[in-house]
Amino acid sequence: MTKPVSFHLKKELKNHFFDYLLLITAGIFFLILLNIFRGQRVIEFIVLVSFAFFYIIWGVYHHIVNETLHLKTVVEYILIAFIIIFLLKIIILP
Amino acid sequence: MQKIKNFIHLACRQAGHLFIPHEENNFRAKSLHTDFLTVYLVIAFLMMIVFKQANLHNILGFATDISVDKLYQIVNEQRQKNNLSPLVLNSSLSLAAQKKAENMFQENYWSHYSPDGKTPWDFILGANYKYEYAGENLAKNFLFSSGVVDAWMNSTAGHRENILKKEYTEVGYAIVNGILNGEQTTLVVQLFGTPLAGSFSPPPVQAVQAKETTAVVENKSQQILAQKTFQPKINAFNLTFNFNVIFMAFLLLALALDFYFASKFNIIRIAGKNTAHFLFIIFILMGLFISTIGTII
Repeated sequence: MTKPVSFHLKKELKNHFFDYLLLITAGIFFLILLNIFRGQRVIEFIVLVSFAFFYIIWGVYHHIVNETLHLKTVVEYILIAFIIIFLLKIIILP
Repeated sequence: MQKIKNFIHLACRQAGHLFIPHEENNFRAKSLHTDFLTVYLVIAFLMMIVFKQANLHNILGFATDISVDKLYQIVNEQRQKNNLSPLVLNSSLSLAAQKKAENMFQENYWSHYSPDGKTPWDFILGANYKYEYAGENLAKNFLFSSGVVDAWMNSTAGHRENILKKEYTEVGYAIVNGILNGEQTTLVVQLFGTPLAGSFSPPPVQAVQAKETTAVVENKSQQILAQKTFQPKINAFNLTFNFNVIFMAFLLLALALDFYFASKFNIIRIAGKNTAHFLFIIFILMGLFISTIGTII
């Protein structure tokens, strides 16, 4: 019998509780910093880039801990982070 | 007919592979494959370069979606909602607003009063506008006209009172780009006025005829350049903003579907964590909306 998707989601979050807590905390911190430096475009961009780099490091750390680290996985995190950086650069620092 | 059926069948199959993990796409939605992500990256990079090279914020007016027409329209809608007469766009007040914004860049201050003591009223009188009542609202670094007016309307520091003051009959706007405190800034100056009875008042300017004025004000030894530009038919900034939101929504959809089907079919594979990508993009989207909010005084 197939289990519902919510079961898999809960299992994923429960099994890696600390990792996701770290990511969510960093995300909240990112939003707070953006709000503090609202309107200061250069600082906003630095905050964005820092969060994106943290995300890559988080990805590598998470897969090392789970012993699932693979070059393809690292490249995936890097690509997603840089797509976001390039797209938001147009908005924040045209 | 059979050919069309085959084509539709093939198209549906290919679209399915874009989102549904299957052995034919190596058990990972094709839209999330490394080669697809690389294509997205190249497109994003090219867009960034084109936007920079074309220097759209100079050619098309501003790096924001703020326009005099839109501000004028939204403010008057707010007044009409409160049973007040709409304000008339006045060229002298717009000139005074323009001078005020230029002065803010020249003397590098973010305040209603300049460091050498100039008041908003000096600029209004300097534009030959004799007033009975006058007021000023300022905003900087907003990305959308509606954001500016919303912030003023939600303010408890007198901005809302200015917009809804029944004594005011005329308004002037300036939207000026420049460097303030070392940062590229888009300033919005809104001046309200009621002409003194019997004083000369220039003919009102229709909102539809209003043009935006770009002024690049640089420091002391540099020149002040002012030029008139028309509002572009297609707003490049708005287009880019919407593209970003749509693209991120597409990524979220792809991640959600991939996660759903991978869970449903109990697929185990070597790939990044969809949950983490999903959270990251959600935080970025929230950040994008925070960055559309500027500051007012």
